[in-house]
Amino acid sequence: MFLCSIFRGEVVFRDKRAAWLFIAPALAFLLLFKIGPICVSFVESFMMTSYSGAKSFVGFENYIYLFKHDPVFWNSFKTTLIYSVVLNPLIVFIALVLALLLNGSQKFVKFFRTLFFLPTAISFVVVAVIWGVVMDPYYGLANSFLKMIGVGAQPFMNSTSQALLCIIFISIWRSSGYWMMYFLAGLQNIPESLYEAATIDGANNFQKTMKITIPLLSRTMSFVLVANTAFNFLTFAPVYILTQGGPNGSTNLLMYESYKSAFVNLDMGRATAISSILLLMIFVFTIFELRITKANFEY
Amino acid sequence: MKKKNKISKKTIIIFIVLAIIGLIYFIPLEWVTASSLRPSGSLYEYTEPLNMETFIPVNITFENYVNIFTQQHFGRALMNSLIVACSTVLLTLLVSSMAGFALAKFDFPGKKIVFAIVLITFMVPFESIVIPLYLTVSALGFINTYAALILPGVANGLAIFLFNQFFSEIPTEILEAARIDGASWFRIYRKIVIPLSVPAIITVIVMVFMFQWNSLFWPLVATHSTRLEVVQVAISANRMTEATHWANLFSSAVAGSIPPMVLFFFLQKYFVRGISGTGLKS
Amino acid sequence: MKKIALFLLVVFFAVIGFAKTNLEVLWMGWPTDKVMTLVNEFQAANPDISVDVQLVPYTQLFQTIEVRLSGNSSTPDVFIVDGPLNPSYAIRGNLLALDEYFSEEELEPFFDSSIETATFDGKLYSIPYTTSSVGLYFNKEIFDEYGIPYPPETPGERLTWEEVAEIAKKLTIDENGDGTPDVWGLIIEQIDRPYQLLPLVQSLGGEVISPDGLSTAGYLTSEEFLKAADFYWNLFNGWKVSPQGLNNSSISREYFGNGKAAMMLGADWNINRLAEFEDLEYGLSPHPYFEGGIAVTPTGSWHVGINANTKNVAASVDFVKFLTSKEALAEWNQLFGHLPARQDSYDLLEEEFSKPEWQILLYEMDHTAMARPVTPGFLQYELILRETFNSIHYGSDPEQSLKDAETRIDRELRKFK
Repeated sequence: MFLCSIFRGEVVFRDKRAAWLFIAPALAFLLLFKIGPICVSFVESFMMTSYSGAKSFVGFENYIYLFKHDPVFWNSFKTTLIYSVVLNPLIVFIALVLALLLNGSQKFVKFFRTLFFLPTAISFVVVAVIWGVVMDPYYGLANSFLKMIGVGAQPFMNSTSQALLCIIFISIWRSSGYWMMYFLAGLQNIPESLYEAATIDGANNFQKTMKITIPLLSRTMSFVLVANTAFNFLTFAPVYILTQGGPNGSTNLLMYESYKSAFVNLDMGRATAISSILLLMIFVFTIFELRITKANFEY
Repeated sequence: MKKKNKISKKTIIIFIVLAIIGLIYFIPLEWVTASSLRPSGSLYEYTEPLNMETFIPVNITFENYVNIFTQQHFGRALMNSLIVACSTVLLTLLVSSMAGFALAKFDFPGKKIVFAIVLITFMVPFESIVIPLYLTVSALGFINTYAALILPGVANGLAIFLFNQFFSEIPTEILEAARIDGASWFRIYRKIVIPLSVPAIITVIVMVFMFQWNSLFWPLVATHSTRLEVVQVAISANRMTEATHWANLFSSAVAGSIPPMVLFFFLQKYFVRGISGTGLKS
Repeated sequence: MKKIALFLLVVFFAVIGFAKTNLEVLWMGWPTDKVMTLVNEFQAANPDISVDVQLVPYTQLFQTIEVRLSGNSSTPDVFIVDGPLNPSYAIRGNLLALDEYFSEEELEPFFDSSIETATFDGKLYSIPYTTSSVGLYFNKEIFDEYGIPYPPETPGERLTWEEVAEIAKKLTIDENGDGTPDVWGLIIEQIDRPYQLLPLVQSLGGEVISPDGLSTAGYLTSEEFLKAADFYWNLFNGWKVSPQGLNNSSISREYFGNGKAAMMLGADWNINRLAEFEDLEYGLSPHPYFEGGIAVTPTGSWHVGINANTKNVAASVDFVKFLTSKEALAEWNQLFGHLPARQDSYDLLEEEFSKPEWQILLYEMDHTAMARPVTPGFLQYELILRETFNSIHYGSDPEQSLKDAETRIDRELRKFK
């Protein structure tokens, strides 16, 4: 059901042989480098590995442990949910607005598109340093500025209530230009003739955007929603480098927990169980988002 | 005249809005660039109090750039990343667009399973598959070669998904007409589908390029010769356990962002309204 | 037949004789040009061995080693080992026991605490490379300005933590009254690392893990541990003399170097690094201790180990011997300023180490240094304890946090029993 709703091509051709020939090369790559390892990792989530490397089958124990006994799982689960609920719509909205503003052919368009895209091209290690300095709670640029305009210094990443918001802000800064690109590409598929017809009917710009642009962007929109949701659930570099999950676990995303389990605690069972749960969360989220946005597309 | 005035008014408003948003994007980037042009020194030296010197270096020097190229083989790292990113882009474009075409325009048994495979591939974190992937690539004998860096990157479900979404918008009637005229499937794919999908191709180029350009963990695992060192590894090397070489970190990050920036700057000219739109969706 | 056999034999020896042994080395990503000086010297002296060095950035180091060693891979042949991780690699069969390749004489010059760190179940698993020590750096200008006498700068003479706290309170200064101190009293360089914090507990005579290294219950909530944790909590939350959230050694040094802190509990490498701050005039005082307690300083650093599955044992041993030689360690010190892990290297560096600040740290290494706990679960122990210290410094209740830490650590340690 869900799958069909995303890939709604108007299927007409039934040439099986041709279809498989077109798909075969990609499928070979996917099976070898993605699905194979994914299956291994999924099986791993039902195993326990001893320190010597011996594996034993333990059924759902890793999952039961997470749900029932793990002292940090539910906090991380909640943090991940909040993070995604806030970040996903915000980033898609900002990316869309930027794309709409920059869909013209004015002289400055090229400059701004490149400017918004640029943060994606900066190494994350450096992005972390930049924002660490800007948001330094005592001597940072942001606080110098806030003091100057009389707002007063903010604790930023030192506070349990602001740290996650800071991470969200940095994520938006870093990747909204990247997602803007997909919308820009999608906008090119909307025929100019529709706008001309609307102009003749006396529609203003806002009406044109709501009645023509947004509905006709629905395929791009579903792509961005699905891809961006997966991306946000699985990214943990900002947390790893900037806050290490703190203060007091307020930025301890599930993916970071999974990472620590895999490479610090050497507990692959727990790590892969978390990534399976993440996969499920991504699916549920995506379906939900597609439903919501599709409702808005009805016109 | 009246109409022209109206357009420029709208343009001015858009420009002002963009300029305000743009500042948030611009300031941190400007600060890094400025810092990369200062003599190597302390990080907080110019942040407080906030003044012109925070953003405009007084004694401009290019020594940090000279250093990374002469002492840290940054040129070689750039070259390696370019080779890896470009090869991955070319292979992915071919392989993914073909698969996207089949998924968009054909019906065949097993299609749903292929869909599921495509989707799942980008919903599972890389960190949890890195060990089995390493063992696979190792068994194939690719470790410490360009192939180890390039080939796993070609397995890109997201690119297939993107092509599928774009190809779905191409009216089936055009393809049907060509089919009736006796064109082979591959010819239809090459002569009709691909030319109509320039924005999608551009997007996938940038997407795959950025993916490879920004990868850090996999190159560390899959290669171990300094001659195969990639950009992100070279940049991160300036952050050590007990110290960070700020000047070189910033100069390498700025230098490392130039290729993607140039790529995007030139490719975005294809994101112009109406270049491919006409004829579709009518 | 004979001829063919002879021919094959000749070919065989020719191949043996001329084939280059290729050695894969996984090393940390210090600046390439500097690391390569030593490797190139080795190459020049051993033309039959070619060394392929991979320099991994620190933030990715441990996970890269984990993946590279997975599936009992035979490479890398030689890799850098963080001292306390010796037991973890040893118990999983990743490190070659080196006892038969290194004579007692060869090991004699190394610091005892470092050899102890590399020993697990009676076997030696890696050769110490660098070591470290910690002292109290103080900004002379700030002390002068507010008329506070300097802390002692002679080896072995030290302040108590109680005295440090009093000075820190006086030197936490908010001149313009905006709520953010212009000068902080004290910075702990590695704010939440057990490396820097366990000596507080040990100074009070506390143990930080059970003798077998497999349990923490009762140890993290001992009277001594709690007293040390309370002191630590007060620095950030009670007396508010230390800034929160400096989670990176480089940033801590930026604060101290730019005159934003009067004192910094920091490691040896700062002696070289602080030279970058031209306006800074600092002194170094020995590591403080708790009144009525003993002086304890952290120590230990990087080691070099050989992969247990390597196919090039002989070449690997040669390389490790070269890298950990008296001369090589002295040269490494001149390149990076890291303290050599063998005592005789210091003979070659007399001029440098005659400086008073180095004398202070050398004294500590001889008299007060205590290695980190030996446990196969150090990775887990360190991570969880680090998160716990981090929470405490942000204001969590020390006792409750440490109780939780005991539960979490002991669960992870179970798998090694």
